[in-house]
Amino acid sequence: MATKGLIIARDLVVGYGTDPVCAPVSVAVTEGTALGVVGPNGAGKSTVLQTMVGLLAPISGSVQFDGRDVDEREAGFRRDVATVLDDDAFFPSLTGQEHLLLTARGHGVDAAEDVVAAEIAEFGLQDRADALPSALSSGQRRRLALAAAFVRPARLLVLDEPERRLDTRMRRRLAERLREEVADGLTVVFASHDPEFLATLARRVLIVGDDACRLTGPAEAVAALHEG
Amino acid sequence: MRRFTRRASAARADTSWLTLLGDLVSYVTGAAVVVAALGSTITSLREDIRSREDTVSAVLPGSVSAAVAGLVVAAALAGLLDQLGPVSATPPAAAWWLPLPAARRGLLRGELWRIGLVAVVVSVVLGLPVVLSGARSPTVTGVLLGLACAGLLGAAVTGLLAAAQGAGRGGRVSAAAGLVTVLAVALPALGGTAAHALGAAVGDPPYWLELCLPSSWPVLVAGGSWWLLVPAALLAVAGLVLGDRGLAGLRAGVLRAGGETVQYASASVLSLDTRAIGRALARPVRRGRRPAAFGRVRTAAQAVVASDLAVLTRSPWRWGQLVVGCLLPVLVARTEGLGESPPLVGIAVVLGWALAAVALGEPSRHAQAAPAADRMLPLADREVVRARAVVPLVVLVGVCGVSALLVSQGAGLPVGWLLLGAAAAPAWAGAAVRGGYRPELDWSGPVVSSPMGAVPSGVGATLVRGLDVGVVGTLPFVVALLVGEPTQLLLTVQLGWALLLGAVAVHTAHSSRT
Repeated sequence: MATKGLIIARDLVVGYGTDPVCAPVSVAVTEGTALGVVGPNGAGKSTVLQTMVGLLAPISGSVQFDGRDVDEREAGFRRDVATVLDDDAFFPSLTGQEHLLLTARGHGVDAAEDVVAAEIAEFGLQDRADALPSALSSGQRRRLALAAAFVRPARLLVLDEPERRLDTRMRRRLAERLREEVADGLTVVFASHDPEFLATLARRVLIVGDDACRLTGPAEAVAALHEG
Repeated sequence: MRRFTRRASAARADTSWLTLLGDLVSYVTGAAVVVAALGSTITSLREDIRSREDTVSAVLPGSVSAAVAGLVVAAALAGLLDQLGPVSATPPAAAWWLPLPAARRGLLRGELWRIGLVAVVVSVVLGLPVVLSGARSPTVTGVLLGLACAGLLGAAVTGLLAAAQGAGRGGRVSAAAGLVTVLAVALPALGGTAAHALGAAVGDPPYWLELCLPSSWPVLVAGGSWWLLVPAALLAVAGLVLGDRGLAGLRAGVLRAGGETVQYASASVLSLDTRAIGRALARPVRRGRRPAAFGRVRTAAQAVVASDLAVLTRSPWRWGQLVVGCLLPVLVARTEGLGESPPLVGIAVVLGWALAAVALGEPSRHAQAAPAADRMLPLADREVVRARAVVPLVVLVGVCGVSALLVSQGAGLPVGWLLLGAAAAPAWAGAAVRGGYRPELDWSGPVVSSPMGAVPSGVGATLVRGLDVGVVGTLPFVVALLVGEPTQLLLTVQLGWALLLGAVAVHTAHSSRT
């Protein structure tokens, strides 16, 4: 049973209605570490992540963040936890740059304009920063969503397949960036199908399955990914 | 290919001809009952209005308002058809028909006829109240011919829009139609108000001006100018011929995009989900001319307000709705026959302010559908919903206050009316948020039997969510209209009542999310 960590799942059964989608999950993620979540399509990775950040109610078990039960409606939780789970998390009528700026200012970031400019450059959005999200390609929207997670302070970053729709260069840059952030104290939980991404970032990996969810090292997880 | 597809669909369908005939009889009977009820109501209203004494403040002849109504109906129909295509192909049709090695004109002709027929029926239905209320001494023959004229004009609009679509100029009419609607309401309302202030008389619109506006033709035909059926028929034929020729130039992407909109809108209509209809027909947002710096935003609540302001300031469509919502009651109050009836003015006030509240509920509707953006800010769910009421409240104080001031022109105590209108704003601001955040339609509630068929009560309760608070919150204002004076007591009651209802509406809007 997991006992210590910034975010802790205890005997967590996730699913829709009363039907679990995978075996119970017990895991603790300590501050300043990265946990990868892997498994085949439909294994329940996204459901696990969404339940861990309070978007779905658990069927049974519990999730605690910083010693308290997770409630995503609370201001404190929203201040500390950044998520990139879907691509439509944008304010309507705002361009990409405005969306980032408003997010940063809403979090009270000092020198918000400089921070936003740096992230726009980091994610290669300079040419499309003044476009509405609806006018961006799916890959550009993904980059914008990721940039939004970095223009604000957070203690925990939860990502669902962050490598999705990114080109190879951007995947590598993102993995390196996340590794640096983890070294600086950020906690990251991410689901991924990318062995390279997993190997770069994670020191522990949760393999989600129907019969059991178990923790392992990245080497075994990468091998499992290669085996499909 | 069309025939083959139709036969294949018919072969798979389990609907017999008898069932179809029964449905047809049922629809026709239902439509006849609605038409009879509408005709009877409008006729008795005309008699009632005729028996009233004119008031000084109602200076616009009824013919002006009838012309406005005709113009608004025509603009709405043209704008809607333009947004839907008018010619489109649903995704399955686009996947199956469009790649075929067959002339596109032949494949799409049936679609043009189908949408033209729908436009004719809609024109007749919407034209009925306009013709009945606008024509002087209408006869049954006159009304029927007027409706025939409306149907012909509906067909002409469809054909001309299809021709524009084929020429690659589709999608440009809806903005113009919106502008026409705003001007059609605003100019007579403000003109009537100015005329009343100056003590000037406003006469009937000149015959030549009505002739220049085809939307007025059905009323003119019903009034005896039957010859106008000839140009209407010529317009319909010319429009449909041009539209048919334009079918060959329609691109697959345009057809598919239109078909997706039609499919979404049709499903929304069938499921009675008015919020989804709005989403299906929503105009694309514009970005600002200059990037916003949000320099004054220091907190998460301010960020929510700033994003809501951006939605409003970057949508000319919403501004148009606000102008119409503010001035629609004024138009009714200035119109001879309508302005003398406080209950009718009260109904117009509720309709106008409800329209303004719906316009201001857009950020709430968006947040209900895609709440992820709100979760990015360090603000509790409850606080987000509260912050979302700020922009509607501030704007509605202006809209309701100005509207009330202009409606009450000539009734004395202008400051009192202004304050009384502004005092109703909290209820409508709450209504905007409550309506935007309302839950999905509940089809599981008990079914109530009605002459129109079974009505699921849960659906009705959800559909009026938001509007209910606004209507109830405006009651003190309506009472003031009835007694003709904004008393101190009514002002106090209005403010307290609206604040209470607004707070309840925002609270329940949050509760419906959790």
